Amino acid sequence: MKNLKFLFLGFIVLLGFVIAGCSQQAQKPQESSAVPPDIKAIKDRGVLNVGVKYDVPKFGYKDPKTGKVEGFEIDIAHEMAKKILGNPDKVNLIAVTPKTRGPLLDNGEVDMVIATFTITPEREKSFNFSIPYFTDGVALLVKKDSGIKSFTDLNGKTVGVAQSATTKGAIEAEAKAKGIKVNVLEFASYPEIKAALESGRVQAFSTDGAILYGYLDDSTTILPDRFAPQNYGIAMKKGNDGLLKLVNSTLEEMQKDGTLQKLKEKWGLK
Amino acid sequence: MFDTGPFALFKWEKLFSDWRIFAEGFVTTISVSFLGLLLALVLGLIFGVLATSQFRSAKIINRIYVEFIQNTPLVIQVFFLYNGLPHLDIVLPVFAVGVIGVGVYHGAYIAEVVRAGIQAIHRGQLEAAYSQGFTFWQAMRYIILPQAKIIIFPPLTNQAVSLIKNTSVMAMVAGGDLMYHADSWSSNNLYYGPAYIVVGLLYLSLCLPLARFADYLERKAKMNP
Repeated sequence: MKNLKFLFLGFIVLLGFVIAGCSQQAQKPQESSAVPPDIKAIKDRGVLNVGVKYDVPKFGYKDPKTGKVEGFEIDIAHEMAKKILGNPDKVNLIAVTPKTRGPLLDNGEVDMVIATFTITPEREKSFNFSIPYFTDGVALLVKKDSGIKSFTDLNGKTVGVAQSATTKGAIEAEAKAKGIKVNVLEFASYPEIKAALESGRVQAFSTDGAILYGYLDDSTTILPDRFAPQNYGIAMKKGNDGLLKLVNSTLEEMQKDGTLQKLKEKWGLK
Repeated sequence: MFDTGPFALFKWEKLFSDWRIFAEGFVTTISVSFLGLLLALVLGLIFGVLATSQFRSAKIINRIYVEFIQNTPLVIQVFFLYNGLPHLDIVLPVFAVGVIGVGVYHGAYIAEVVRAGIQAIHRGQLEAAYSQGFTFWQAMRYIILPQAKIIIFPPLTNQAVSLIKNTSVMAMVAGGDLMYHADSWSSNNLYYGPAYIVVGLLYLSLCLPLARFADYLERKAKMNP
C-alpha cells in the first residue's frame, strides 16, 4: 500500500515537471535591434525548417517515382527562404500530418507550417496565422455507381472526413441549412477515407476540393457542390511576431507582383 | 505561465466544458473492453484446453489460430475486419469490429496462458482422474482447471490490461472510443495538450487497478501454492 502511495506521488510530480517544461513562456523581452529574435534564430541556423504535406498532390506531394517533394506550397516555402535567408534552396522540408502540425510548431521543430492549414478563430488562439494565400471550398467525392448527384442526395448517408479538418463542422452546418441528416466519421489520413469509401463504410469522401482531385479515379466522381470557403494560411508559433510580419509582407509582395498567381497557374490551381 | 503553449489554461477550460465527448468515448472503451474480454476468455479457454488434449486435429487448429493471430499486428486485423470484409458483403458495425478484433487477438494470447497453466499440472493428475472413470472434459473441469487456475490468473489479468489499451486501435477505424474522440476533438481545435493528458489518465484509471489486482493475485498464489 505504501509503495502505491509513493508511486502515485511520483507520477504526479513527474506530470508537474512535464507540464512546466512544455509550457515555458515563449515570450522574450522586446529587443530594440533591427532583427527580431525569432528571425535571428533562423538566420543563425542558416536553414528554414518548414512543415509541409507529402500526400497532397499539387500542394505538397512526394512523388514516389522521383522521390522529389513538390507542389504549390513547396514553392511558397522556397520563396520564404529566399526572403529570410537570401537563398531559396536553404529549406529543410519536414513532413507533417494534420495531427502533427500543432505539436511540431509548439516544440520548435519547424519554424512554419505550410500544409493546407485552414485558418479558424479557435486555431488563431493557439498559433499565429499569416494572411490567406489560397482559398478553397469543401467538396465531396462519391462512387459513380452510387447514384449520388448532389449534396442533398446524402440524406441519411455517412461521410468520411479527415481528423483535423474543418470539414466536419462545414458539412454539419451545410446539412442543417439544406435540412438533411448526415453522419460524419473521422479518419486519421486520406488513404484511410478512400479505403472506407471503397468498402462502403462511407458513401462520400469529403475534404477541400483541391485535395480531392488527387484521389479521383475512374470509379469516382466529384460533386459540383462547393461550400464553406477554406482559407489556407501559414502557421507559426505564438509569440513569433517578427516572423509573422515578415511572412505577411512576403505574401503581400507575391500577390502584388503576380508570383502567387503564376505559381497557382503552374500547379493548375484555380 | 499558463497563458500560451500546449497546456494553456483556456485549453483546459474548453476540455472540461466539452467533457461529454470524452465521457461518451470512455463508456465505449469500457463496453468494448468488457465484451472483448468475455470473448477472449471463452476463446482462450476453449483453445487452451484443446491444445492439451490428445485430439491431433484440435492441436493443429489451435496452432494455426494462435500462430496466425500472434504473429500479425492487431492494426492489420482490425483494418481487415473494417475495410476487408465489406468486399465480401459482410458489414459489421464498428462496435462489433472492436469487440471481435481485440477479443480474437487476446483470445490467442490467453489460449497460450491456459495451455501453459494446464501443462504445469502434473500429468499423473489426469491419469489418476482417468483411472477413476472421468472423461477428458470431466477431468479438466473438476481436477485440472481448478489447480491450474492459480497459475493462470496473474498472466490473465495482464492480458486484460493489454486488451483495454489495445481498444485504442478503434481510433483508426472511426470507432468512437476514447482515443478516437481525443484525436477528433484535439485535431479540430489543436488543443492536443490537455486532451492526451486527460485521456492517458483515464486509461490509467482503468488499467492500474487491474494491474495491482494481478500483483495481489500473484502474491496470494505464492503464499498458498
